[in-house]
Amino acid sequence: MLGFVIQRFLQAVLVMAAMSVIVFCGVYAIGNPIDIVIPPEATQEIREQTIRRLGLDRPLYEQYFIFIGNLLQGDLGRSFVYNIPVLELIGGRLPATLELVLISVISATVLGVSLGIYAGYRPDSWVSKTIMAVSVLGFSVPSFWVGLILILFFAVNLGWLPAGGRGETVEIWGIGWSFPTFDGLSHIVLPAINLALFKLAMMIRLARAGTREVMLTDTVKFARAAGISEGTILWRHLLKLISIPIITVFGLELGSTLAFAVVTETIFSWPGVGKLIIDSIAVLDRPVMVAYLILVAFLFVTINFVIDLVFALIDPRVRHGAAA
Amino acid sequence: MIFQKFLAPIALAVGLGAAAAVSAQTLTMGVRGGPESMDPHFSALGPHAEAAKHVFDTLVWSGDGLQIEPGLAESWTPIDEDTWEFKLRQGVKFHDGSDFDAEDVKFSIERIPVVTGPTTTTIYVRRVASVDIIDTHTIHINTDGQAATLPNDFIRLFIVSSEAAADYSTPETAAEGFNSGKATIGTGPYKFVSWQPKGDLVLARNDDYWRGEGAWETVIRKEIPNDSSRLAALKAGQVDVINYVSSVDYLALERDSAIDAVKGDSVYIMNLQLDQREDTPLVRAIDGSDLDDNPFRDLKVRQAIDHAIDRQTMVDIVLEGLGKPANQMMPPGFFGSSEDIPMPTYDPAKAKELLADAGYADGFEVDLYCTADRLPGDGAICQGLGQMLTQVGIKTNVNAISKTVYFPAQARLEYSMFMNGWGTLTGEASYTLGGLAHSNNPDVKLGAFNRIEYKNDEVDQLLQAGATMMDPDERRATYEEAMEKVVADKAYISLVQLQTVWGAKAGMLEFTPRFDEDTLAFFIKPAS
Repeated sequence: MLGFVIQRFLQAVLVMAAMSVIVFCGVYAIGNPIDIVIPPEATQEIREQTIRRLGLDRPLYEQYFIFIGNLLQGDLGRSFVYNIPVLELIGGRLPATLELVLISVISATVLGVSLGIYAGYRPDSWVSKTIMAVSVLGFSVPSFWVGLILILFFAVNLGWLPAGGRGETVEIWGIGWSFPTFDGLSHIVLPAINLALFKLAMMIRLARAGTREVMLTDTVKFARAAGISEGTILWRHLLKLISIPIITVFGLELGSTLAFAVVTETIFSWPGVGKLIIDSIAVLDRPVMVAYLILVAFLFVTINFVIDLVFALIDPRVRHGAAA
Repeated sequence: MIFQKFLAPIALAVGLGAAAAVSAQTLTMGVRGGPESMDPHFSALGPHAEAAKHVFDTLVWSGDGLQIEPGLAESWTPIDEDTWEFKLRQGVKFHDGSDFDAEDVKFSIERIPVVTGPTTTTIYVRRVASVDIIDTHTIHINTDGQAATLPNDFIRLFIVSSEAAADYSTPETAAEGFNSGKATIGTGPYKFVSWQPKGDLVLARNDDYWRGEGAWETVIRKEIPNDSSRLAALKAGQVDVINYVSSVDYLALERDSAIDAVKGDSVYIMNLQLDQREDTPLVRAIDGSDLDDNPFRDLKVRQAIDHAIDRQTMVDIVLEGLGKPANQMMPPGFFGSSEDIPMPTYDPAKAKELLADAGYADGFEVDLYCTADRLPGDGAICQGLGQMLTQVGIKTNVNAISKTVYFPAQARLEYSMFMNGWGTLTGEASYTLGGLAHSNNPDVKLGAFNRIEYKNDEVDQLLQAGATMMDPDERRATYEEAMEKVVADKAYISLVQLQTVWGAKAGMLEFTPRFDEDTLAFFIKPAS
């Protein structure tokens, strides 16, 4: 087990190092950030001074090693644009993204798996057919369009929910969260639906496919022959058997949504990290881009690691395979 | 009656923005961009200065039409070749109750080079050599040589409290002190309450403001960068006023009785720029072979391009009416804009004739580059340009790209023909002609944004002379002459002046659009 953890850790370090080099070179290739942010009154002298002040006059490899040196001391650098430490900048916006993403991914999974199992268990009923038709919509309609329609319908026409932004927050462990307040929840509803729609569709399809397959297996036949009730079969046996792909997808979706909920965050003016990274790219704020992508790489490696552990817990075959 | 009784509490309970957020005492503004820090000296970006103007005052104020007016300085006069005397306003108090005096001005000027970020604010004090305090309300600014436009430089010179900001004036501490509010002590119309980067800026009225009391007890400045989302927030009643309504939405708003659309002229003018180097990278003959010369060095070719552009169609079709044809690099009425410059005529036949005269009867091929995400309509204007030029025989490949890629490449001189907007934010010509039309010469600190190697010796002389002329009338005439010469050379071809639109709840607010596009809560009044 320890060897497994160490191997995973080394993998993570490699991925993050590669990521930092790629981002560094990529941003360097686009050009000098100074030319985007310099004001028109600036003279040639002022431009040179500013480049020197940010250390952009040094060769690329030198800039990179300074960055790595600071990183090893736990300093990810300061944003060019905001002049505050990058970690503080990202940390200040993480709770907003975290609560939005958790609410949408968890509700999409719970609802999607339930509907999917039903659709797989009774594939011929008209309810199942409706569920599947809706899931096709969830897949195929672009999410920015759905977001705008949600705003138009619920905020502008009906006036039931706010059009964007984050609601009132309360402090828990020194961090501001908006889900415990009524105002906060009313702000979360629309972006969460927008974000959840695609995942809901995917969960429905995964759960349905798994259910149809498992219902035909000998496990279920023997369970039925043994007189076990249908409810118990679904809950105790079927759910466990179909959960491996669902957990994998849940983990990956959680990660990618946390990192890249950009479209929804932009449309709903949600002050999260996805919005931050897009804005940083627009002005070539390299410290934020590099730090953020390294953190994302770290996040994915961690999530995959946790998923592997969970597999081992729920599936004895994986557990014994790993031991052998 | 019964309806109202039942519905009102329900609306409140549901947390409906329209009823809850708007009371007569609170103004909620939805704006496209925001400050990058609460330290006013950190960035020279437009939205940064706009936000800072709520909390801090400037030494010199620029009015709605960018004319300079007294701010924290009541008057200013040049007392010799390289010294300006500024008389400061008496009896002004900072938000913490302390007095505003000469010490704060000196402190602010000297603080700028230390704490500025990449969008550098040193441009406001670039001419300042040293500051002498004469008495508590008089200062002398010594400049490096004659600096005729020093008061114009000071329109964004924000004054911070020398006591409150004393401990927060290094690059490491400035953001912390100002973002937390500890050092965010100004003399402006509103006091700082809280701010989140890219989030809300919350302000409370300064009851002792020297211009008089503002109309709103609380002001919330919400950053909503997406155009559609900003408009949706206005329609849903979450905000009272928004800036930068897109031209597409403007047409719809005209028919919407719940929203007032206020149109204002912008300082931004779209300029087509033609590379003047002997070798230019992105031009070739129609068959793809190399040309002997850079065609843009021939005046006839440049005139042909000018005649090939139908500015009125650009305005009416491409910009949906949100603009005006432009004939020079600044809007009319600015200090140095010439009234003697005619509006170019659209004449494709003449354009073809001129091209043939210049030896390009078969035309040539060029790659045109423009920004597509910086100003309203820039990408669409680029497309229009491509079609108009292709019609007269200049085969134009349109590349409307992100400003993130465009500006660094433009600075590396990689383009032959390119277009972007330029805003004369100071309202006078030394800013625009000094940056664009003078040959690039670091020794005289002029021409830093001349990316086409344009050089006209007469223009260079006029601009150098103008920079040192203390007499405003003489200076104005000099800049007008320089403008006429630059326009006649057609290396810069001005296309259209943009207009911007604000949206507000119908009948609720009164305000005058500003030329620099700032949305300032103090100057927005409730409709009576």
